[in-house]
Amino acid sequence: MAVLEGKSVSKLFGALAAVDQVDFHLQQGEILGLIGPNGAGKTTLVNLVTGIYPITHGEILFETRKIDGLKPAVIARMGVARTFQIVKPFPGMTVRENVVIGSLFGKGGKERNTKMAFQEADRWIEFVHLQDYRNASVDQINISFRKRMDLAKALAMGPSILMLDEVMAGLNTKDIEEMMTLVTRINQELKITLLVIEHVMKAVMGLCHRVMVLHHGRKIADGTPQTIVRDDKVIEAYLGERYAKTRRGSG
Amino acid sequence: MILQVLLNGIFLGAIYANIAVGFSLAWGVMDVINVTHGTMIVIGSFITFFLFKYVGIDPFLSIPVSMFVLFLIGYCTQKYLLNLVVKVGIFLSLILTFGLDLVFINVVLMIFTGDYRSVTPSYSGTNFQLGQITIPYIRLATLGICVLLTILLQLFLTKTRTGNAIRATSQNRQAAEIVGVNVAKVYSITLAVSAALAGACGSLISMVQSFTPFEGGFFIMKAFIICVLGGLGNVLGAIIGGLILGIVETMGARVLGTGFQEAISAIIMILVLIFMPKGIVGSKYK
Amino acid sequence: MTIEKWLLFLFDGAPVELKKNQIIIGIIIGLGFMALPLFIEGYWIRVLSSIFMYAIITGALNIIAGFAGYAAFGNIVFFGIGAYTTAMLMLRVGFPWWTGVFVGAILAALFAVLVGLPILRLRGHYFAIATLGINRAVEQIALDWGSFTGGGKGITLPLPKMEIQSFYAMIYFIMFGLLLLTILTNFLIARGRLGYALRAIRDNEDAAEASGIFAPTCKVIAWAISAFITGLTGGVFAYWFSFIEPAMVFDIMIAVKAFVMMMLGGAGTVLGPIIGAFLLELISETVWGQFLTIHMLILGIIVVGVVIFIPRGVLDLFRKKISLSALIRNIKNQSI
Repeated sequence: MAVLEGKSVSKLFGALAAVDQVDFHLQQGEILGLIGPNGAGKTTLVNLVTGIYPITHGEILFETRKIDGLKPAVIARMGVARTFQIVKPFPGMTVRENVVIGSLFGKGGKERNTKMAFQEADRWIEFVHLQDYRNASVDQINISFRKRMDLAKALAMGPSILMLDEVMAGLNTKDIEEMMTLVTRINQELKITLLVIEHVMKAVMGLCHRVMVLHHGRKIADGTPQTIVRDDKVIEAYLGERYAKTRRGSG
Repeated sequence: MILQVLLNGIFLGAIYANIAVGFSLAWGVMDVINVTHGTMIVIGSFITFFLFKYVGIDPFLSIPVSMFVLFLIGYCTQKYLLNLVVKVGIFLSLILTFGLDLVFINVVLMIFTGDYRSVTPSYSGTNFQLGQITIPYIRLATLGICVLLTILLQLFLTKTRTGNAIRATSQNRQAAEIVGVNVAKVYSITLAVSAALAGACGSLISMVQSFTPFEGGFFIMKAFIICVLGGLGNVLGAIIGGLILGIVETMGARVLGTGFQEAISAIIMILVLIFMPKGIVGSKYK
Repeated sequence: MTIEKWLLFLFDGAPVELKKNQIIIGIIIGLGFMALPLFIEGYWIRVLSSIFMYAIITGALNIIAGFAGYAAFGNIVFFGIGAYTTAMLMLRVGFPWWTGVFVGAILAALFAVLVGLPILRLRGHYFAIATLGINRAVEQIALDWGSFTGGGKGITLPLPKMEIQSFYAMIYFIMFGLLLLTILTNFLIARGRLGYALRAIRDNEDAAEASGIFAPTCKVIAWAISAFITGLTGGVFAYWFSFIEPAMVFDIMIAVKAFVMMMLGGAGTVLGPIIGAFLLELISETVWGQFLTIHMLILGIIVVGVVIFIPRGVLDLFRKKISLSALIRNIKNQSI
């Protein structure tokens, strides 16, 4: 079943098409990778799904419900969570308070009072192994922890879909591996469907069931990680026409 | 008749435009709402008053003096006060300039007392006729100087090194820093130029209306409305906004009387803020 | 949402972290203030009432500016609305003062909702100045609609039918009661859902919305609460002074002072704004109340000083035990 579906989605900023007639779908339980050179429109696509930008043309459906045009808060409460490329924590608060925002206002938040919300937050803080830093102020912890906190906050929203925007960026090898384990656990233990924007190829190849490639706002490839890595158009987009030509000539 | 009102509106609008251009410079480049801008204008007026009454210098000749004095005041304000808080929060600089405004007003009050002053050189009130229209000389000269100042500012911003540094910093502070621009100095000069413009306005206004140390708030309100109308941080917007406001107010005063005028200006501003947040002309300094 | 759910929304909160001795100290101070009128003379009763009033205005401002981060410089407009409503209801319709005050507060809150819906969409400076514009516009209307509001001549309210010293003592207790209400409101908001929502909005509005927070609703609610309390205060003020005119009750200086008080004590905390109000107002009244000119000058210097040296408030200084050298280092780090 397609939990998330986009039909011919376009986003125009003036004359510039940041996203150009993209069809996409997210199957329940899968991890979909979203890759493409910088400026391809990946984050814009996620922003469209979460309602931060209104779409110009097309349709987006979440569990067969039309969600384009809805407010971000409404979409969030339906069970769509995301992390941000540049981590956006709430700087005035502690780690615990940051995560509790997710459990207070995400899906199921309405039924919780603050005591329950804090308990829920603690659960997710443990899941990402941040319990030692629960009461630390957010500006004091390093980027790897902040990304995990962002993840915990998103999980506390009780989502059925989680969209990660370059969650590996800025992490060292060890952190990347830990993060990959976390993502796998989220997918397999918690049964959450994931969309992962990534540049770190190790993560893309290791985690994703399927990968979609965007370039200049258009979808240029869609398939398993192994297939798209060999796709000519993808290579051309990342490495340029000349390299692709030489490769084709020698390959 | 209509032409006369229109012309009066343009005269007023030119002054308004200049007030707004200076104000918008600080706002557009540094995101600083300089509440003291109004009182800086008043200081310019008082400098002209002082030079005229006690030293006998013609008001138009005092313009360079007031510009220079205010340049220094602006430079020091930015360098020693505002540069300390600009990065911290947007409304910190607003409150700081509020407080500084109180200080400025009081210093002026202590020196000059709260009496109404005006500057009336021998040629006040003289005018010439162009058909049915009366054109006061002073107003005409004021218009000319306003235009000149605006042209000079544009030349400064586009043709000089400092001016370009200012424009670069307003677009992207970090990028400018990387390229080697001394942002602190650029900011100081920006406020200094803004203040100098205020000084010039003050000198011109001193011949047109009477003033007290408390006039500042009135000017700030106008400047704000114009910046909102014309779009923040661009010279053209401030000019158009200023002219529009000047004309609308002059015509409005004819029709409605001065009473509801203020309420109307405030309401217009709010409506523009809501429906056309980028103003009639456009947005940031580009 | 039902009433019950609304109440839960506001009152449900994180576990209280107040220590027992803190509560006891609070009660002692409270009782002390309540017993004070017996021991001090009329002048000081009025001074304290005035201090309470500033503390209330600052505490109310804290809800929209401190918690939500929306710098409502023109918040004083609600004070004026409360004052004028009370005055006109008492004078023209013969309502008792407390009805007038209550209705005034409700009108202020409704006005906040009305203008809040469009205006709270603006960010930063634009919102701040829009609120100034609103205050200006309403002040002008009060000035120009002479037939209705008495215009520039102001309104004289019916005098209270009691002995003057008892009246002032009553005002003292009313103001103190409002102050307690303000502190309680801030406390409940701080530890409840609304407080978390507002702080998230202040820190990062986009991330807050992406987490499921309905920012527009929360902001409007916060402003309405702030307006209600400010309106109550304006009404009581009108009753107290028996005469109001536009310049008095729409005075921007009060709003600016409240802002500085809030910052001085610590914006976004429960007691900070109150402490800031007490500090600044005590200094103002006792030392410089005599010379109007110097008063403004010193106030201006204090404002500048507070912004540069203690932008996060004195509470923050005490809590972090910052030394002078650390303070100066902080300033150097944050300068351009």
